[in-house]
Amino acid sequence: MVKAIKVQSLKFGYKDDLVLKDISFSLEEGQFMSIIGPNGSGKSTLLKNICNLEKPNSGEIEIHGKNISQYKSKELAKKIALVPQDTFISYDFSVFDVVLMGRFPYLGRFDKETDEDFEITKEALKITNTFHLRDRNINEISGGERQRVIIARALAQEPDIIFLDEPTSHLDINHQMDLLNILRNLNKEKNTTIVLVIHDINLACRYSDIIMLLDKGEILSIGSPKEVVTRENIEKAYGLNTIIEENPYTNSLYIVPLSLNGIVKKVDKKEKVHIISGGGTGREIISKLEEAGYDLSLGVINVGDSDWQLGKELSIKMVEEKPFSHISEEAFKKNIQFIREADIVVLGSTPYGRGNMKNLEAASLALNMGKTVYFLDNYSKDNKFDYTDGEAEKLLNEMKGKGLLIINSIDEIIKKA
Amino acid sequence: MSLKRSKNKYATIVVFLVLALIFSVVLFSTIGTANIKISDTFKIIGSKLPLIGEKINIDGIPDSHKTIILKIRLPRVLLGVLVGASLSSAGVAFQGMFKNPMADPYVMGISSGAALGASLAIILGLRKTIFAISPISFFAFIGSRITVFSVYFISRVKNKVPVTNLLLSGVAIGQFLTAIMSFLMVIYSKDMEKIIFWTLGSLSGKGWEPLIRIAFPTILSIMILNFFSRDLNIILTGEESAKSLGVEVEKIKIYILILSSFMTAMVVSVSGIIGFVGLIIPHIVRLLVGPDHRILLPSAALVGGIFMIFADTIARTIISPVEIPVGIITAMFGGPFFIYLLRKKKKGI
Repeated sequence: MVKAIKVQSLKFGYKDDLVLKDISFSLEEGQFMSIIGPNGSGKSTLLKNICNLEKPNSGEIEIHGKNISQYKSKELAKKIALVPQDTFISYDFSVFDVVLMGRFPYLGRFDKETDEDFEITKEALKITNTFHLRDRNINEISGGERQRVIIARALAQEPDIIFLDEPTSHLDINHQMDLLNILRNLNKEKNTTIVLVIHDINLACRYSDIIMLLDKGEILSIGSPKEVVTRENIEKAYGLNTIIEENPYTNSLYIVPLSLNGIVKKVDKKEKVHIISGGGTGREIISKLEEAGYDLSLGVINVGDSDWQLGKELSIKMVEEKPFSHISEEAFKKNIQFIREADIVVLGSTPYGRGNMKNLEAASLALNMGKTVYFLDNYSKDNKFDYTDGEAEKLLNEMKGKGLLIINSIDEIIKKA
Repeated sequence: MSLKRSKNKYATIVVFLVLALIFSVVLFSTIGTANIKISDTFKIIGSKLPLIGEKINIDGIPDSHKTIILKIRLPRVLLGVLVGASLSSAGVAFQGMFKNPMADPYVMGISSGAALGASLAIILGLRKTIFAISPISFFAFIGSRITVFSVYFISRVKNKVPVTNLLLSGVAIGQFLTAIMSFLMVIYSKDMEKIIFWTLGSLSGKGWEPLIRIAFPTILSIMILNFFSRDLNIILTGEESAKSLGVEVEKIKIYILILSSFMTAMVVSVSGIIGFVGLIIPHIVRLLVGPDHRILLPSAALVGGIFMIFADTIARTIISPVEIPVGIITAMFGGPFFIYLLRKKKKGI
């Protein structure tokens, strides 16, 4: 099948420096692709090159198997439409007239608009929910409405591919969603190929089939959101420490920035901290200590536990145990090994049962070894944490006697350092 | 549907303005020191038209009146219509193309080039006609053409002509040529008055000859310009948008540049530099009919023609028999009226 877009070794620079260095990719018809990347990575420039607004220094760009330089400008405008970044129009054309301009490629210089042109214009207005605005002036409507009107104009071109340059950047969150939903419907119902430059990685993951990550004029990664939006890639492109998880509500990837690498100076990893937690009680401890730059280890932790997931995402050394299993002797020993290597042990407010009692025992041993052991006390009076018939509580009280340091917030450790 | 309605509205506006123009031509031909009745003017002009001419009886009208109307007033008024229409059309086109409300037909330095050319002809005391054209006109035309081409080539970057470059080099070249002209005026101070009067612009005492000469090319240019209305509309919404809609922006810019500067140079060579019409009429008409060039261009041409002959009538009658350069009148009336409209709309240009 002929590709909707095919770009081969595209190079482009405004002056001597290349903004785009050797870009090659192709896109099937009916795909929804987002181009992400930090400022100055060449996203908009790439879009302009594909839309024939800038001429590449070298390389080939094909739309539906035909080189774009071989298209007449009106022919190309029937295939592709662009929604530019800046949609402000300072002249008071009516919304209807602006959308009707989308029919330009279909009209000769001496032609008048036909009934068909009016029908297509009306249809475009309806699809984008702007029909009620048709008699208003374009410079009197809101930014979100204007953005939709310009998309309607693109639709009136009846293109196979719509390019959008940061369509959501000036919009409120509700208008962002609204706009992307319109695009997704077009993509699904009319099989229109959508290519958009977007800053919001979470929105990109949620709506796209394909994501292209650009960095310094090169494609760092291209593929499905899961393939592209990884900790390594994001750190490389943005210099950002992140957590990437699956959003349970939308089933799409979700990225949480933690800290900036290289920009905010990281604390030297002078202290090793071993964390004992489980069931999500370690979340705050892990993220905050990771952000502060400590060298972390975690254990023993059951595979699949939410703290384990976080540990995985952050690539923390862990002592693992099979899901929902009791801590084995082997894991316990390994845990002691980790504790021996650590300078500090932090104990989360985990509920204890027979399965994980060994973790509390390990903490107690740490005290005996003379390690500094902090206990983040989040146990509330009403909630039971001891499911071991008093054993855990007894041990904890003993430990308090042996110098267990009780803290109310993890920040207390970080401040001390 | 809303658009079909507005199309009918457009036709109504044009028909109304054409009738207003015809009436104005007759009215302003009538007004003057000789006491002529407006109905007589209708008859005199009508008698010269094909088809209906023979049916009109003008026996009762004094021959002197016929001569005044046909030999003096009518060519002057028609020339005024052409000048006003050309300057207004060029103004609309430049304002649209440059997306700049300060643009006018002279923005590319056309006026300075023409003025310098005319000054040279005056200083050299040329009398012999060149290709049956008065030497001042000829030199003015050549001067303005040279200026436009220089500005264009100075502004060119690769294959593009950025509008900011055009505007800035137009201003720079214009100032440069004006400085040369001022220098010449200081050196040849005996010609200073004549040069100043030429630059203020006038429609006086031209007769039929220059009118016939420029009528065809300017009317044709105005008409062709109208075929670029849709392109101009789209360019107003942004050059990148326009390109992605299939408008060949760079080509269109060149066409519009050639057409507008050509008709401006034509009329300026005959009438001198009549200011303000090409700046103010486009704005006034835009405030009235909106930014759509399909109605804006023809309306501006017609209103520009009417305004021009209105101003010229005042110029020749207000302190008759002394004639005031019409450029003074256009600015005196146009300015305040424009400010009034601006305040009333309170929307900016």
